[in-house]
Amino acid sequence: MNQLKAYKNEIIVGLALLLLLIAFGYKQGKVSGQTDTSASSELQELKEVIALKKVWGDKKTTKRVDKLKTMVAPSKVKWSRTSKKLSASFSNLNNQELNRLIIRVMNLAVKIQKLEVKKSGASYHVELKCKW
Amino acid sequence: MENTKELMLIHSQMPHVSSVPAEGVNILLTPQFYTIKREALPVKYAYQAKRIAPSLFEGLLENLEHQKYFVFEEEEQWVFVAYDVEKIKTFLQTKGIEIGQVFKIFFAEQVVASFHAPVLLGEQEALVNLNGTMTVVPQIALNPDEKPIRINADFTPKKGVSFEGRGKSMVSSNETYTLAAIFLLFAVIYFVEGSRYGGESEVQSQEMQALLENYPSLQSSYTRQSIADKYKKIDNKERKKRDVIKSLSHMIFKGSTLTSLLVDDKKFQAQFACKDTNTAKKLKELAKKEKFNTSKIAHSNDLKIEGTL
Repeated sequence: MNQLKAYKNEIIVGLALLLLLIAFGYKQGKVSGQTDTSASSELQELKEVIALKKVWGDKKTTKRVDKLKTMVAPSKVKWSRTSKKLSASFSNLNNQELNRLIIRVMNLAVKIQKLEVKKSGASYHVELKCKW
Repeated sequence: MENTKELMLIHSQMPHVSSVPAEGVNILLTPQFYTIKREALPVKYAYQAKRIAPSLFEGLLENLEHQKYFVFEEEEQWVFVAYDVEKIKTFLQTKGIEIGQVFKIFFAEQVVASFHAPVLLGEQEALVNLNGTMTVVPQIALNPDEKPIRINADFTPKKGVSFEGRGKSMVSSNETYTLAAIFLLFAVIYFVEGSRYGGESEVQSQEMQALLENYPSLQSSYTRQSIADKYKKIDNKERKKRDVIKSLSHMIFKGSTLTSLLVDDKKFQAQFACKDTNTAKKLKELAKKEKFNTSKIAHSNDLKIEGTL
């Protein structure tokens, strides 16, 4: 007991150092555990895939594309859709109709194969080919 | 704890000590081993008083650099005790007391009130309380009516000092506390950081688990990679098309009218009718800013803007 008391200072420093080493080991273990699994990047990648899938694999896209047909008077539209492919032409569109149509097309998650706008006089003619 | 140990009075005439109790001893020093000074100072705490102790003994003691100081409060004044550790150590060793056996050092001045009668120091000297100051006097000067007393563990004061490096200790108390505090501080920092990383990993893994449960088809990393590749390609291309259309729409302003536009998988082409050369110039600048190619339509102010996707 006396001997222990004689080395009290060394024991205190030693215990504190031991605790420090344990804490360091604990931290390193947690850090390396995180790096090994790359959990963070894997999670980011998964979130990105889900987000992309939600946008470009959306099953409601067909419904949304069909709404383009009702944006202008039926007499101005020529519509041909087969499954997930659209070929449509819109004629005699005024400025407002053209703007609305283009904005709607831009917001659709479809692959635009061809978008053609031609002005003739005061009206516009639009041809749209897309798939999804 | 300390006053359960034997209290040994240390004086210059003491005989050689043949055996010291195994649990160690406390020692009470006579004024032969220290110098005292009483001062009424306007300080509140002992550590503040201790700071000015060296200056109080200047000119009074030789070898000031070897002196250590102990300060305690007595009524309305501070008692400053200066002692030479090395001198005390050497003396103790000559008397057969090892430093490692000494638990605490006390000064007779601390328990001046307990000396209501003289304590004999060997055959010629005695330790007496002379008007509140401990003094070593010849025994012949003692009042024969006064019966000498012996000191015991009850004389042990509350506070004392320890020999630094008592036993074989290589680290001083101050160094011990400083080092231990630094190590503990870092230990706490590492634990906190570790638990933060651990917490993050756990949250991430739970989130990952929940997402995979909702999207079981994405459980394989190969599937994920293939879906990501497929959709990223589409996403990049389609975003580019939409960005181009948006940029071109910003080029429609007063005097500039879009007459035709074609966007397909590989390229885009737009034609603008400009009412004058200034408008055409402004439009050209806007197109240049977007890094689009421009060409002027012959015999008009119209401008053709094109590029690849």
